[in-house]
Amino acid sequence: MRIRWARDPETLDPLFAPNLAAFDANNLLHVSLLQGDIATQQLAPALAEQLPTVQLVGDSLTRLQYRIRPAATWDNGRAVLASDVDFTLKLMLCPGLPNEAARNQYSFIRAVLPHPQDPRRFTLLCRGQSLEFAQASGDFFILPEHSLDPRGLLRRWSLADLQRQPLPLPADSGARAVAQQYLAAVASRSSNRLSGCGPYELLKWEKDRFLSFRRKPRWWGSRLQPAPLVLQARPQQLEYVIIPDVATAALALQRGDVDVFPQMPAREFARLRAAPAARSALRFYTSPSYDVATAGFNTRHPALADALTRRALSRCFDAAGLLRATQLGEGQRTVGIISPADRANYNDSLAPVPFAPDSAVALLRRAGWQRRSAPHEGWFRSTGRGADQQLRLLVRYRAEEVLFGTVALQFQAAAASIGVPVTLRPTEPGTFATAMRSGDFDVYLRVLRGNPFMFNFTQLLHSASANNVTKFGTPASDRLIAAIARADNPARRTALLRQFQALLQAEAPIVPLFYLPNRVAANRALTGLHVGSLRPGFAAATIERVAQPAP
Amino acid sequence: MALRIAWHLLRTGLAAWALVSVVFLLIHRDLGAVQLGSPDASEQRGSGVPLSAAAQAATEQAIDQRLGLDEPLFYVSPPAEARASWRWNGLRNQYHRWATQLLRGNLGQSYRTGRAVGAELADALAFTLPLTGLAVALSVGGALLLALGLAGRPWWQRPVRAGLVGLQALPLFGVGLLLLLAFANPEALDWFPGYGLGQTTDQPPGTWGYLAAYLWHLVLPTAALVLSALPELTLQLHASLVQELGSHYAVTARAKGLAEPAVIRRHALRNALLPSLAQLAELLPALVAGAVVVEVVFALPGMGRLLAGAAVARDAPVLVGGVLLVGAARMLALLATDVLNFWADPRIRWQS
Repeated sequence: MRIRWARDPETLDPLFAPNLAAFDANNLLHVSLLQGDIATQQLAPALAEQLPTVQLVGDSLTRLQYRIRPAATWDNGRAVLASDVDFTLKLMLCPGLPNEAARNQYSFIRAVLPHPQDPRRFTLLCRGQSLEFAQASGDFFILPEHSLDPRGLLRRWSLADLQRQPLPLPADSGARAVAQQYLAAVASRSSNRLSGCGPYELLKWEKDRFLSFRRKPRWWGSRLQPAPLVLQARPQQLEYVIIPDVATAALALQRGDVDVFPQMPAREFARLRAAPAARSALRFYTSPSYDVATAGFNTRHPALADALTRRALSRCFDAAGLLRATQLGEGQRTVGIISPADRANYNDSLAPVPFAPDSAVALLRRAGWQRRSAPHEGWFRSTGRGADQQLRLLVRYRAEEVLFGTVALQFQAAAASIGVPVTLRPTEPGTFATAMRSGDFDVYLRVLRGNPFMFNFTQLLHSASANNVTKFGTPASDRLIAAIARADNPARRTALLRQFQALLQAEAPIVPLFYLPNRVAANRALTGLHVGSLRPGFAAATIERVAQPAP
Repeated sequence: MALRIAWHLLRTGLAAWALVSVVFLLIHRDLGAVQLGSPDASEQRGSGVPLSAAAQAATEQAIDQRLGLDEPLFYVSPPAEARASWRWNGLRNQYHRWATQLLRGNLGQSYRTGRAVGAELADALAFTLPLTGLAVALSVGGALLLALGLAGRPWWQRPVRAGLVGLQALPLFGVGLLLLLAFANPEALDWFPGYGLGQTTDQPPGTWGYLAAYLWHLVLPTAALVLSALPELTLQLHASLVQELGSHYAVTARAKGLAEPAVIRRHALRNALLPSLAQLAELLPALVAGAVVVEVVFALPGMGRLLAGAAVARDAPVLVGGVLLVGAARMLALLATDVLNFWADPRIRWQS
């Protein structure tokens, strides 16, 4: 079974996956307490026996009770225990490891309380209360304490001790030894030194060429009857081949050198689907995804600080036309950053922002802008003191993203038609990240990746968050975001989410353009290929090859 | 002569060091901030607490400390404000640490993979050298043969020259894709493999079968590289051969009764080679720098993709190591050209 990847995973560090390929590979090697089920689009118990039971303590603590499946073992036959969960969480706080992102992400878990009798049962004590804790507390890979910290050096601290230490952490000899052992195990790229309890082991990894995984002969998950979808592992061997160029990869698919081509670009997908030879050899799948193409405004910029101006400019994006041009009609328009596929939470009483440059002119006038003619052509607004503001925009997007090249050109043309000069700045990825953080842009274009489980917009749009690149935030929006994160039942959260979508459309700090489709092309001889909206868009471990009938 | 070469080598070494130092200092500004944000950082997830600016700064500091970026960059720091003065940082600085490690042969560890940079470069070179070496050898050999043939003014001179000029106008990715779509396409000619270097399980390494499969996979990429390098080399050599054949010594040689091929090979070629030697010096750094376009189109591993990836991800140790290698190759190529010119042209020897 060969699957195309566009890039090398670079590292298989289970605590830090720098790209999607690394995340996919880790999913084969390791198991987390809960995993996304591509068929139901819900988190399903994987290493855990069941979804955790939630108990609210007072008004600021949550207790989540888990039990690990009794069948779950490491490769050497030892049982997976609560102490492994505790060790993994401590490893996320261990100095000297690339665990900064994980540290921030799981900082809400304050303690792992073991059960006095049952070593598989434990309680996670979480700071705060949120519907999402049940899911968020289970989506990290569990690592073996006995092989990474055989002497139990991290047991000296409690989780809270490690969390209390200010960053950067002082290096302690015990923690350093564990960190070094872990780093060496990751760098060795050997399944023997960093063995997970997942169904596959890494057989061979040739950088920038391929990774092959072999199914473990005695994997604990195969003893489960019936095996849940998240714990199925059918192919004996999985090979991921790294082909960066789309044309080359499509050719390899047609030749039968590659069996699955996930996340295929629109044009290649349409071309192959129209070709008779390819149609007879391949199957084509599409599903909605949770990735939304968005534009965002730098609200720190005085000209973009008011909602009217932002709303005017958001009418210069022809989302419907762009959807036709770039996705060839697939994908869905949206009113906000909740997917239209999520029927309950999507606010269907709002209408998508129309493409209407004419009405944008009226909105600009209402925002206090006046159009001047030559020699100083353009839109100006008096600030009351000093020189007048001029409305001119710098649009940044990643240079390699063809989609945003088209979006930017369309926006530039529409803005030019109403007299707003727009400069396009396709930017190299590293510089783009720096520019986003330093606020060196007026408008950005990028894909926002989501999932169906979590609706926490704190990092993205709360005014106190350093990751809020638009720097948007009003007391009302902050309150709403906090209320969504703290909502104690789904109905309440749905009401708040609908309200939030209306608020975002009125304030327009970001303009959601459309949800991108997920496209997968695969060999016809495969069965059991589940294509769905969860990343990476299909489940690799359930695929089987149909035996070819003898001629 | 030895003294002269030693002097050249010293100058070459100093120039390579200066080059790599500048690259080191440039890339290390504002590095930690980039490391935090992976390319897919635009995730809608996270815990309920906003990551405050202070927490963000602490996280960045932790990353800097982990990567050794918390020390000052250089021996001196520029003034932070207009009225402040330059500050002396002493020996505890990133540049000093890097330079002392480099003198011990340690290029550091890749930020992305955690592996030693030396090992990363060696792995990539093991793939790049056969590809680029083969391509350079074939291009030089082919250009020499073709130019010698063209100098005899056969009937095919005009169409071949026109073809070469046309080929030179094509970009390398165009040549690569054309070859791929023409010779590795089930809908056209399905003669060659479409990507990579063959799979894991096909052949055990070290056997003839493995070598054959390896070379088979290299045919199209090498052809793309040769086709892109050949026109320039051939047209240049041809032009200078034509010029030399019109000079007085060639007329004299013909008057002695020598046949035209002998005039070309024994008299004109050596003089005509001088400008081509400089062109060769251009090709040598590409030998170790890899060919990123061909590597991407044909999904081959190598230096080109390693360095391009390192630049995008700001993997400074790999990038600096790669620049050092390519820079040293360029300097050595220039030195080799000097020595070859010295050997080929007596006039240069007499002048010095």
